[in-house]
Amino acid sequence: MASDHIISARDVKRRYMMGEEVVWALAGVDLDVHRGEYLSIMGPSGSGKSTLFNMIGGLDRPTEGTVIMDGHDVRKMDLRQIAYLRCHKVGFIFQTFNLIQVMTAEQNVMLPMTFAGVSDEEASRRAREILERVGLGKRYDHRPGQLSGGQQQRVAIARSMANDPDIILADEPTGNLDLKTGEEIINMLAMFRDEFGKTIISATHDHKMLAASDRVVYLVDGKITEIKQRHELKIEQGGIADKKAETKLSGRQ
Amino acid sequence: MREMEQIIILPYRKVLQIAWQGMRIRLLKTFLVTSCIALALAFLTFIMCSNGMVEQLGERASEQLQQRLAREGLLEQLLSTEQRSQTAWMLGIALMISFAGIVNAMLISVTERFREIGTMKCLGGLDSFIVKLYLAESLFQGTVGTTIGIVVGVVLAYVEGLNRFGSEAFQLLPIVTLVQILVISFVAGVVLTVLGALYPAWSAAKMEPVDAMRSEV
Repeated sequence: MASDHIISARDVKRRYMMGEEVVWALAGVDLDVHRGEYLSIMGPSGSGKSTLFNMIGGLDRPTEGTVIMDGHDVRKMDLRQIAYLRCHKVGFIFQTFNLIQVMTAEQNVMLPMTFAGVSDEEASRRAREILERVGLGKRYDHRPGQLSGGQQQRVAIARSMANDPDIILADEPTGNLDLKTGEEIINMLAMFRDEFGKTIISATHDHKMLAASDRVVYLVDGKITEIKQRHELKIEQGGIADKKAETKLSGRQ
Repeated sequence: MREMEQIIILPYRKVLQIAWQGMRIRLLKTFLVTSCIALALAFLTFIMCSNGMVEQLGERASEQLQQRLAREGLLEQLLSTEQRSQTAWMLGIALMISFAGIVNAMLISVTERFREIGTMKCLGGLDSFIVKLYLAESLFQGTVGTTIGIVVGVVLAYVEGLNRFGSEAFQLLPIVTLVQILVISFVAGVVLTVLGALYPAWSAAKMEPVDAMRSEV
């Protein structure tokens, strides 16, 4: 069953309890992600985009509904299957980089391979290879504290690629970076889509991201309000049109 | 649907290697936590040893020493019921300090790493890996800290004993009692350290990774 959709979410709901109050962070979302596409999830903070992102990545389980990843129902998996999924199928990139502080760049990239049972020699060889690709070939021995934000995020990208996953999930990957570095990161992600056919899914409110995206999903109040294809996006990019889109979006909050 | 594969379970050697490196790089923190454990245990062992010596004064001290202590009014004072209840209090306080100090130190050192736990789970780390990692770390810190603490406590107790009772201090504490004290202190120190680390580590490992990464402590 090699479906064209690497991820299918059906009527996904997620409920949170805020004290006595029930909050639906996701109020029924349907979404299919195609293999090899660059999908951005946009929305104001509190729109549920992080929640949706977490559901898609198997970092959290839906209260209701199903998430099928590569033919498997995430909700029905046991702990070791979920761990396998996170280790082999998905690579994660976070806004705050989340590198292990006590490990060098190389060891950070090696960690997912260690979890996958790869030998140290092989893991080290592959880690240096990937670090070379993201332009940190000489800094493999540095720890996160000795690297700039952009460099840390590149180590994180290398780490997400460690076990050659199908999907790369990036949660606001440019949120803590300056304009230029953010663009480098986006280009790097786009390169992994183009060269290796990776599926990139990114939660963001960074409009730079749109240029690289194949599709953009707009999320407001836990529901998808619209999905735009790449060619529809081009029209709105930059200038006044972009501003308009922004005010339209924030007006709905 | 085809069978979903499962993640492998890492061998202990690998877990130990990761734990050891973490402690080495976090040297200052490791040192602080270990000294906190050592300090608590030194206090506990000291109190138990010097109490043990005082209790044996009536039976094991020589005539000479007993006479000297009686002359100085010390014997009466040391063996009075008032003194005994005070001793019990001291022991209770020593136990409480050990408990609160050690558990608190471990709790902080683990909770400040919740994000790391969440990240490791995102990368395919199993709950059991996280628990083993912190078990290895706390066992090491607990054993080293407790051992140092016990040695310091016993030495200090004998120094105080020498000061009060002269060279007879060495005869006052029966070997059996001393061994008992060592065993109780050691078990208390290691168990408290491991529990203090494992409880928060286990609860973080059981969380969904997002919750672990989000929780600010």
